[in-house]
Amino acid sequence: MKDVTIFLKKEGLEVWRTKRLILILTVFVLFGLISPLIAILTPEILSSFGSELNITLPEPTSLDSWMQFYKNLTQIGIYILAVFFCGSVNGEIRKGSLVNLVTKGLNRSAIISSKFIMMMILSLSAILLSFFITAIYTAVYFPDNDSPHIVAGLIPFLVFVVFFSAIILLGSTLFDGSMASLLFTIGVIIVLYLVNIVEPLQAYNPIQLIGENLSLVEGTMELKALGLAIASSLLLAVTAYLFSMKLMNKKKL
Amino acid sequence: MSLLTLNKVSKTFGNNSVLDNVDLAIPKGSIYGFIGVNGAGKTTTMKLILGLEEISSGEIKIDGEVVTFGQTKTNRFTGYLPDVPDFYGFMTAREYLKLCGEITGIPKKHLANKIGEMFKKVGLEDNKKQIKTYSRGMKQRLGVAQALLNEPKLLICDEPTSALDPNGRREFLTLIASLKKEMTIIFSTHILDDVERICDQVCILHNSKIVAHGSLTVLKQQYAQEQIEIQVEKKDDTLFTNLLDQLIKEEKIQAYTKKETAYVVNYTQPYLAVTHTLFAKCEQKDIAPTLLRKVAPSLEQIFLEVTA
Repeated sequence: MKDVTIFLKKEGLEVWRTKRLILILTVFVLFGLISPLIAILTPEILSSFGSELNITLPEPTSLDSWMQFYKNLTQIGIYILAVFFCGSVNGEIRKGSLVNLVTKGLNRSAIISSKFIMMMILSLSAILLSFFITAIYTAVYFPDNDSPHIVAGLIPFLVFVVFFSAIILLGSTLFDGSMASLLFTIGVIIVLYLVNIVEPLQAYNPIQLIGENLSLVEGTMELKALGLAIASSLLLAVTAYLFSMKLMNKKKL
Repeated sequence: MSLLTLNKVSKTFGNNSVLDNVDLAIPKGSIYGFIGVNGAGKTTTMKLILGLEEISSGEIKIDGEVVTFGQTKTNRFTGYLPDVPDFYGFMTAREYLKLCGEITGIPKKHLANKIGEMFKKVGLEDNKKQIKTYSRGMKQRLGVAQALLNEPKLLICDEPTSALDPNGRREFLTLIASLKKEMTIIFSTHILDDVERICDQVCILHNSKIVAHGSLTVLKQQYAQEQIEIQVEKKDDTLFTNLLDQLIKEEKIQAYTKKETAYVVNYTQPYLAVTHTLFAKCEQKDIAPTLLRKVAPSLEQIFLEVTA
């Protein structure tokens, strides 16, 4: 635990001094700002194409804003996180910066734990910041009752991010290059989408956690319906984390 | 009494054998030169000693404790200075040393003073500059500071001078030599000059095996040949070559080689007798040597001899 605290302080200083913290928060603040904005502007943009298209669009609601939010974060946001963190372990191994510390007695498992904790702190705080910004703007622009359960919609997504972070961590420990670990992470997501075709497995599939958020927000689905997917995601996250530790303990530095 | 022992250590990468049944004992208090050409397996040996590489067979002990791969407890005895140390460029030197000190377990109340001592010892300024702005030489000094922070019994330096300029090299060697009384030092390098300057014991690694080891003085007596360097005017070259060939036939000298403008002559007879013969023969042939000097046996000679 002592080693985790020590290395976590170094990780914190690193994200601060290398401006990665600012960068990642800025990106997610932008997501938070543009989600309600796109919901407002989409009908106007479409109607600006001219009267010959003759499109009649319903008035946008808060649900459109949240739809845009989850679309942005699940289709772009998580992959930005993958790009940010895919080199977190293998980058340090490649440069040789861990050699001095490990030969000083730094526990290798502590490296993995600290990296994982920092990854989650950054990812979850960026997402929460984005969520609060979207929530405030949505409440201002769309004062309706169409989205009564916004927190319920967010919970599975946060669990998915924990799972996703563990996969990034595993990829970064398993492969020597950042590109290989990024492709591994994307590959896992593709496999999960393919697995989703098999109906009996759907309930356990972590991908469910980023597919039903809107139903939860509007209240047509309850959070407990995703219980199995949440449990399996957390189990897979713990497995990936433990496997990363095992790999790291035998990794050549 | 040996601080470090390698007992029948072998290391292979696939079909490639890097170390083959290596036995070695490094005595306490020595500066031990670990010599070999690039790719001879020096860095691999250092990494095996630090538990950073998995041993294929055999055993390594530091101060009587067996080194294990991955998370070896023997690292509390060692300080390691890699060839090109990589630090966190976003940190200051003090922050980096603090990180190392905390990992090593130096009590908080002593750590600040200890870091100050290290700055003095390695001649590095304690300022707010981030490490990414440091020169190669400054990084090497910081490398020494972090390696010495835990007061190791064994300091492992892996080709530490290969990336330094002549001034940096000289300063670095002086620093390492000054540590001799405090700890045992392994100095791995392919720069033989550096070893001759500071090491009292050496071993030469060649073709996966240790082909020579011991004190430098003993190795010189054992392997290095007596040599005389002699230079004549260019017009006398042919005549002088014939003269040397004749001396070989007469078994007065063993062999000779021409290095640029000078001849290096190997001999086994007493120096005085050989020089008398050379001068007498030169006088007969009307050759006036422009230079004649006894060449001291060097590590390079030993190295060439044992790796031939």
